[in-house]
Amino acid sequence: MNTPSPVLKKWLWLHTQDNVAMALCDFSKGDSVEIDSHEIVLKDPIEYGHKFAVKDIHEGEPIIKYSETIGIAGKEIQAGEHVHVHNVQSLRARRTLTDARTQGV
Amino acid sequence: MLELKGYRGADKTSGIRKHVVVLSLNSFCNTATELISQMVRGTLPLVHPHGRNEVGIYRERLERSLEGVVLNPNVCAVLVVGYEPKTTMDFVQAVKKVTKKPVESVLVLEGGTWNAARIGADKALEMVITASELCRGPIELKDLIFGVKCGGSDATSGVASNGAVGEAVDRIIEAGGTAIFSETTEILGAEHILARRAVNEEVAKKIYKAVQDNEKMAMDAGIDLLGVNPVPDNIRGGISTIEEKSLGAILKAGSSRIEGVLSYGERPPHPGLYFMDSPSAATEVLTGLSAAGAQIILFSTGTGNPVGNPITPVLKITSNPRTVARVKEHIDVDVSEILTASMSLRDGGDLILQSIISVINGRLTKAEIVGHMEFAPIPVGL
Repeated sequence: MNTPSPVLKKWLWLHTQDNVAMALCDFSKGDSVEIDSHEIVLKDPIEYGHKFAVKDIHEGEPIIKYSETIGIAGKEIQAGEHVHVHNVQSLRARRTLTDARTQGV
Repeated sequence: MLELKGYRGADKTSGIRKHVVVLSLNSFCNTATELISQMVRGTLPLVHPHGRNEVGIYRERLERSLEGVVLNPNVCAVLVVGYEPKTTMDFVQAVKKVTKKPVESVLVLEGGTWNAARIGADKALEMVITASELCRGPIELKDLIFGVKCGGSDATSGVASNGAVGEAVDRIIEAGGTAIFSETTEILGAEHILARRAVNEEVAKKIYKAVQDNEKMAMDAGIDLLGVNPVPDNIRGGISTIEEKSLGAILKAGSSRIEGVLSYGERPPHPGLYFMDSPSAATEVLTGLSAAGAQIILFSTGTGNPVGNPITPVLKITSNPRTVARVKEHIDVDVSEILTASMSLRDGGDLILQSIISVINGRLTKAEIVGHMEFAPIPVGL
């Protein structure tokens, strides 16, 4: 797998397939960042180390980081929203979600 | 690698410390153990709340952990403090079959705690005198086992410090060393990546099996892993799911071929990179890595976990600049410039290797100086 490369930025977008990026500073709501030539206005405050959506993610769609699935969207997520335990669901060790597990494993 | 210096042991092993251990075999022997260590400076007391009535996997893990203490190359002599003759002699005879280092014992039930302490102190005194005369000499990297662990992870761990540790691990393996990483719950969601690196199909299957058993245990317990793993401080640090944590956690194991899957405290049969199937709590994992023979442990942390091990020095590495400022006595190697400046993961790996060499040659780690000597011989969690 590709190891993440260092980026001297206020955020880290590890892979072009990733639909989330990670804050490397404390962002306020309304701050804007430019990722992949698109301006994204942050809809929530994003703390250091936390994730925000770099594109709209529909409910049930995978959240992609490290170009791998880290869970699915538990609700509609708009670009610029905080992506964390309130809107992401793990696919692992979840009795109810066992069938929904990705088949790439 | 630069010149490495350590202690060549009675078993032709290479230690980087020369501990004289006073080992309690069960909880009734803890007081005598502590009395001996108070009477004889230079001894290391190991106490725990176990040693009676354990069965099955818990018995097996306890035996591995306690035997591992005796066999670890960082230990040069052991005084066993037992309760009654049968279990004590069984333990001493079992370890004497596999080590030539001095192992002696005292019994609490023969004459009481104070008598055991008096007799034990006389024996420990001689052990400390002998140990004090041991000098460092050349040792080789191929004789060293490196434990690899991450704990108190935050989002920086999975993008920087774990990757830097992985770079160091790759170079240790290339140079003929051995490394063991662990924490089965924390490969959950990333097992397919590790299985591709297995030396053969059998090892790949063992990796999948370890994860399946672990996931089943979580589901049988009727729990949601969220809050258990990732734990609340991981979540506060920005980690949302176990998959996210695992994909970041496996970076600490570098990119080398995986030679095998070990059980808790099992010693690797030959050099290379191994996965140890084990619960994930830091103290228990460090105890297991030490039991497997690790002379040094590389520990990548985000939030600044303070944990140490009594026998095996634990080198703490972080890439979170706020953690370096907040808990500096928990951190040995600061690789935060991976995120704040132009340090590459490889540069970070170099910095870690320099510290590893210093610690092998005698420099103390922060955990050793602060006095973190956590010891938990029976992991019970996920």
